[in-house]
Amino acid sequence: MVRNTTRNFLVVMAVLALLIVPAMAQDEGTVVVEAGDPVVIGVAAVISGEGLAPLGEDIVRGVELALDERGTVTVGDVEFEVTIDVQDDLCSAEGGQAVANYYVSNPQIVGIVGPTCSSACRGAGPILDSAGYIMISASCTNPALAADFVSFNRTAPNDDAQGVEDAIFIYDYLGITKLATIHDGSPYGEGLVTNVAAAFEELGGEVVAQDAVTVGDTDFRSTLNTIAAAGPELIFFGGFPAEAARLAEQRADAGLSEVPFMGADGLYSPELINLGGAAVEGVYMSTPAPAVSDALSEFVAAYEEKYGFAPTAAFHSYSHDAVLMYLDAIEAVGEIDADGNLVIDRAALAEYIANYGAEEPVVGLSGLLSCNGDGECAQGGIGFFQVQDGEIVRLETMSMELE
Amino acid sequence: MLKSIPIAGRLRFGNDPVQTFLYMAGGALLLFFAFIAVRNTLTGAYGIDDFLQGIVLGLAQGSIYALIALGYTLVYGVLMMINFAHSEVFMGGAYIGFFAINAFHESGFLAENTLVALLITMAIGMLASVILAVLLERIAYRPLRNAPRLVPLITAIGASITLQQIFLRLFGGGTRSYPVVSLCIGGTLQGTTCEGGIDIMQGRYQVEVFGGEIVIRPLYFVIFFIALILMAALWFFVQRTKVGKAMRAVAEDKNTAALMGVNVDRVIVLTFVLGALMAGAAAVLFALYNRQVSPFMGFTPGVKAFTAAVLGGIGNVPGAMAGGVLLGVIESAAPQMLGLPSQLEDVVAFGVLVLILIFRPTGIFGEVLAKKKA
Amino acid sequence: MSLLEVHDIHTYYGKIHALKGISLTVEKGEIVTLIGGNGAGKTTTLNTISGITPAAEGYIIFEGKDITRAPAHQIVSFGVIQSPEGRKIFTRLTVRENLEMGAFIRKDLAKIARDMEYVFHRFPRLKERINQLGGTLSGGEQQMLAIGRALMASPHLLLLDEPSMGLAPMLVEEIFNVIQYLNGESGTTILLVEQNATKALEIAARGYVLQSGYITHRGTGAELQHDPTIIEAYLGGH
Repeated sequence: MVRNTTRNFLVVMAVLALLIVPAMAQDEGTVVVEAGDPVVIGVAAVISGEGLAPLGEDIVRGVELALDERGTVTVGDVEFEVTIDVQDDLCSAEGGQAVANYYVSNPQIVGIVGPTCSSACRGAGPILDSAGYIMISASCTNPALAADFVSFNRTAPNDDAQGVEDAIFIYDYLGITKLATIHDGSPYGEGLVTNVAAAFEELGGEVVAQDAVTVGDTDFRSTLNTIAAAGPELIFFGGFPAEAARLAEQRADAGLSEVPFMGADGLYSPELINLGGAAVEGVYMSTPAPAVSDALSEFVAAYEEKYGFAPTAAFHSYSHDAVLMYLDAIEAVGEIDADGNLVIDRAALAEYIANYGAEEPVVGLSGLLSCNGDGECAQGGIGFFQVQDGEIVRLETMSMELE
Repeated sequence: MLKSIPIAGRLRFGNDPVQTFLYMAGGALLLFFAFIAVRNTLTGAYGIDDFLQGIVLGLAQGSIYALIALGYTLVYGVLMMINFAHSEVFMGGAYIGFFAINAFHESGFLAENTLVALLITMAIGMLASVILAVLLERIAYRPLRNAPRLVPLITAIGASITLQQIFLRLFGGGTRSYPVVSLCIGGTLQGTTCEGGIDIMQGRYQVEVFGGEIVIRPLYFVIFFIALILMAALWFFVQRTKVGKAMRAVAEDKNTAALMGVNVDRVIVLTFVLGALMAGAAAVLFALYNRQVSPFMGFTPGVKAFTAAVLGGIGNVPGAMAGGVLLGVIESAAPQMLGLPSQLEDVVAFGVLVLILIFRPTGIFGEVLAKKKA
Repeated sequence: MSLLEVHDIHTYYGKIHALKGISLTVEKGEIVTLIGGNGAGKTTTLNTISGITPAAEGYIIFEGKDITRAPAHQIVSFGVIQSPEGRKIFTRLTVRENLEMGAFIRKDLAKIARDMEYVFHRFPRLKERINQLGGTLSGGEQQMLAIGRALMASPHLLLLDEPSMGLAPMLVEEIFNVIQYLNGESGTTILLVEQNATKALEIAARGYVLQSGYITHRGTGAELQHDPTIIEAYLGGH
């Protein structure tokens, strides 16, 4: 498996590839898969980095399991095998640019599942837009992405949906009126926290402190100390497990041990418990949660059987559905030319994906898929969870059934 | 404080407009900071309890910066080069220390003989740092001893990235947590609470001061005193022992030191070893305190410690100690005092660095070095 | 056998060919002087003997041992001690620490203490400033300290590089008295490099004249003092 390929290497590869591509004299707007060759889908996911790799790896596993279920596409009477090309998006804008450049330099890539982090999606967006490529992210939840990039689609609900649900959960379900927010400076964290705070104030709550931390730091005591002075009843954190574990733990050093701690899908990973131990006991989190279904239960069972452990994040069902969207789209818009090659028109593919399930929603693993023409395909709801006795447990009261 | 900054003596209007501008801008900034701090204190937005809490937190964090800073300052003093890979020497100590303490944790040895296990962990962390530093010196720096000064600087950055990547490949990119360690002094441990004694690792005490309440952990003082003891030992070694004197002689003039019969290469290795011993100890303290290690963990403390070294006057051992503690305290107390979000703590810390360098370009303790260069 | 035998050494600084075949000998108990203009190679000769700038060709024998390729700190342990040009005392070490550095290779503590007493007896000014940093001493005091530091090594062969440079005439006199004293009383063998050729030749048993990396003249102190070409080139002004 391709792991942690360095950015420089990617850039060099991209430049080399850009030099070679014109020589291949292929029409840029189409993908031509020669008979017998596989169809290649790019998978951009974070597979290195502090506390982040479990999130990206979950996405890759969702893709692998989807291909175990349905590993080929059939156009006309011809069957083509489907393979993936996994690249590390580093959960950063630079990483997103690097993987996008890598993929657009390879005309065989039909489309991309990913990237993982909103920052990487933002980095990849302009490059994919101008190349006519598309991405379907399972986890980029920053709301503005869909409007900003034509190439962008997602199977997960965005943070607008999540932020509002989180605020309702905090205000109504937990009965909190004084909120403190912290984010980690990422587009995901900052966007999420802004949404939660706005929705919380609209409900009538008071946001008493807002602050931010630096990714990679481990001592947040002075931040928490400042926050403690404002007397919050709950701390909401937009970020990822590494910083969340330390923040939750160091609450005690700032006299905040009784103040509950909450995050969103970024924290929904056993990694949080690995890093935080007893200190993350009682931490709340929300995540785009597929409706409980038999299909999903079977899928999780298959996941556990194949990899030997429970899912490491909540994104596997979304990446699974992203793959199915590609396979359906290829079968719908692909054509066999005179030489028996598979020809896929990128514009037609993008058009098909943008309106996937628009007329009649498609039943996916993560819920109903119905794209709005602008890249928002998720119809699934938000679930709420809490760490109880070292396990992430779904809170039944607030789980929202989709219908 | 003001007395030690001879503003009047140094200001020369018209002589050097840039210098004059810097002085005036620096002075204005200082006054502005002072004004805000006083205002926030008077309006009650910032209390003396907040200040004390900031100080104790800053002491712990700052002692760790100081220990790391010694490595930068020792190597700079002797080789006039900035060993940017020192942050990875620190990381290596914490990381290898993790494997030790994790093994002790899993075998139950940590719970039975906590103090012994902690001491062994620290020794292993220090040893790991020393091995890394010695390899670094031998492979990356010694072959370039006589190259232009920019060359070892680039190698240092390269070595830093290389070490990060080696740890990343060997042990994965994930973050790992040190176990929660309780060390109960004068009592017996019941579950996680220390009955009748003081838990110097995990204990937390709410203390009433000046109408406010602050949380004190004995661990803060343990870190501070261990750092103090190590620094005193280093100070004694450099000032009083024969080898320490040779080290100072090499720092000043390698050829002349060689003419005294000093094996310069060996002294340079020793310099790296001393810096690494301090960094390894700091690493294990840091990891016990913040409980998290990863291949990239060295970067932030490394930059802060380097800042502390410059703050104190790079190449100057007491300067590194003072700079570290000062930086830690400023970082944890100043943002709140100035009513800034603590996201800006780095801005405040580096702002202080800029201010100090305007008034004392050689750092707080940099007098001797300045004279030598003049 | 001579105490020191330098045979046809060539030394380079990068591409600069600084010594182009220098041969000289120093007998036990002698004062031998090297004179010559700036850039003639006098200091390089001493540094090559000391191992600071090792010779590319040729060999150096000291007390029967080949020291050509030995590292600088090992040559010191053989008893070849250099007091370098420009004094090079350690400015950030105290006077006492500077003297202790001189005795770095020695382990005989009692004798070291005696030698330090002797240095203080010889240079009482140093004793007054025993705990002062080297950098705070005057030029003359620094030169005394440099010589005192070299004595602390109890040298078999003392290499003195420009000991009188930059000193007031009275101090120059004092320094030369010390050199003669060391040679006469303690029997220390001395290889002396001096700008002040007149003075150097007065006290030296033999001398060598260097020019552009070659030895152009050699002879006893008296011979060289009266050689007309030497007088014109090096002694004329004095």
